Amino acid sequence: MHVKAKDLDDSTRAALAALGLELTELPEWTCCGAVFPLAQDNYMGMVAAARILANAAKLGDGRLVTVCSFCYHVLKRVNFAFRNRTEARNKLNEYLEEHYNGEVTLLHPLELIRDDVGFDVLQDRVYRRLKGLKVACYYGCTLSRPAEEMGFGEPENPTIMEELVAALGAEPVGFSWKTKCCGSYQVLNNAALAADRAQAVLEAASRQGAHVIITSCPLCRYNLERLPVGAAGKGESEARLPVLYFTQLLGIALQLPATTLGLDSHYLDALKEARA
Amino acid sequence: MVVTCTVKVAGNTPCTNDAEERGRCVVTGAEMTREVKAISGQNPYLCMQCGLCSASCTGVGFMDLLPRKVMRLVQLGDKKLLENRAIWLCSTCLTCTARCPRGLDVSRVMEALRVINLRKGTEVLAPEGIPEELLTEIPQMALTSGFRKLSS
Amino acid sequence: MTAEKKTVSIYVMGKQSEVPYGVTIMKAMEYAGYRFIRGCGCRGGFCGACGTVYRKPGNFRLKVGLACATMVEDGMHLTQIPFYPANKAVYNLEALEPTLGTLLKYYPEITRCLGCNQCTRICPQELPVMNYIATAQRGDIEATAHQSFDCIMCGLCASRCPAEIVQYNVGILARRLYGRHIAPRAKHLAERVDEIRAGKFDAELDRLMQMSKEELQKLYNARDIEQ
Repeated sequence: MHVKAKDLDDSTRAALAALGLELTELPEWTCCGAVFPLAQDNYMGMVAAARILANAAKLGDGRLVTVCSFCYHVLKRVNFAFRNRTEARNKLNEYLEEHYNGEVTLLHPLELIRDDVGFDVLQDRVYRRLKGLKVACYYGCTLSRPAEEMGFGEPENPTIMEELVAALGAEPVGFSWKTKCCGSYQVLNNAALAADRAQAVLEAASRQGAHVIITSCPLCRYNLERLPVGAAGKGESEARLPVLYFTQLLGIALQLPATTLGLDSHYLDALKEARA
Repeated sequence: MVVTCTVKVAGNTPCTNDAEERGRCVVTGAEMTREVKAISGQNPYLCMQCGLCSASCTGVGFMDLLPRKVMRLVQLGDKKLLENRAIWLCSTCLTCTARCPRGLDVSRVMEALRVINLRKGTEVLAPEGIPEELLTEIPQMALTSGFRKLSS
Repeated sequence: MTAEKKTVSIYVMGKQSEVPYGVTIMKAMEYAGYRFIRGCGCRGGFCGACGTVYRKPGNFRLKVGLACATMVEDGMHLTQIPFYPANKAVYNLEALEPTLGTLLKYYPEITRCLGCNQCTRICPQELPVMNYIATAQRGDIEATAHQSFDCIMCGLCASRCPAEIVQYNVGILARRLYGRHIAPRAKHLAERVDEIRAGKFDAELDRLMQMSKEELQKLYNARDIEQ
């Protein structure tokens, strides 16, 4: 994130700091592995995330915040496995030589804001600069499924991002594709598939009148923004929308300078125009 | 990385083939179905072929065999399924799993089919094949997740 | 007076030998009659040629050490891995940018890291290998360079990696990038080089070149020595 998704990193830290939420970065962290292994006998795929959780348990107040949807998904599911699957817990603890039992609470920044600040309090903290802005909340496929492990709301209709948008004074726009996959890693294997999915998402959001689409995941953003020209099918017009991270929208609403959010200052003007 | 073969040969004795022979253990369709059940922990015979998974699938339009058909072929023990492209176009979005009325974790079945191939050494995403601009630009998780799902 | 003789049993690639207690694996193997034509280098713990893996009976743990720097123990079952095939990128250091993109271009396999930590566990220099691959994935070349600094390129890490990463080659690329493109330039060195080029020391050097052996010896004996 320091390099390739610097704007998400910067905007998350800036926005949360502006709300009085202090985050400490984990020292010496390693990659979580990005995906949760679906093969029952694959414990190696859980090792990286397990190590992060075991280390996090020794620091701070027992809460770990991560903004990237992939990380959130893997860590949450590995944590769930530690809490609910004895064989996984034993195997992983033995391999890592740790005694972790799932004590860490994993939080997405949306949950942190909801719980530690409160959307009603947030409402009073922002100026109504976003009034009239129609925002499509794109969750992607990793935040809310599987429902019993993720606890992020309905598996196909979570509402926490819309609650944030409403608190910011903008108008959340519901659309049918809000938890459908953008194509994810298929962008490496079959770029046409990813382009097709991205097109479908953008089209669905546009059709509902959205001015902008927000997301939590750098890969979703990449797939939605990098839509190649000509991805639309015959007879369809190509839908394009500005794509922002939800933390950038939050930062704009809190009137943080564009540079701290990884945004071009012209972006804000473009956003105003989109609203007009 | 050596993985113990879970295929049981005659009389329920564990297969003793070494790593090189491992892939050849899945020689019959019935063995494929057994492996899929062991790796996914799912009972494919619960599937009632309603097609809800296919209707939800991210890969629709690009897969020649949608999830419903994949499940059917697992039920029938058709090992040609292992050579089909469809399993590699899954993005593990879990929509099929979330919607299956029989509570089947369809994503795990798709993963099991990929894993059988990957443990044999078959892979579809080679790091050498990715152009440099893509390597530099694309968010890291695409590479990490892509390799974990599609490379061995 | 009889010295207490002590020997230990070691098993080199399966063959048992009685060797003196208190010597290194390398010396013990030579005592047993092995002649090193590879897998031996500086004999001083620095070159990484003599990576040795061993186990003791009844213990499943895999241990490593450098043959020139590890003492023999009774019951050691050992073998050497003098060279493990490695993916080595060819590059022109001058033309490279010190970025994540460069590391990924030459070693995209670093994103396959599973976080299993076998590389760290096997490192005879006790380096945080998994960590420096993690910093490499983050594009933190300086951290990678610093953490891999004491690497002796023995190749044991690469031999254990399920993701088939050659950690030490990633490390050396990072160190080269750091040294050439990131590390601050020594200003005083640059100034001194300019002075030399400007001829500031020419007269002095000429004088020295023309001195006789006796004069030089006198100068040498009378030189300033820092105590």
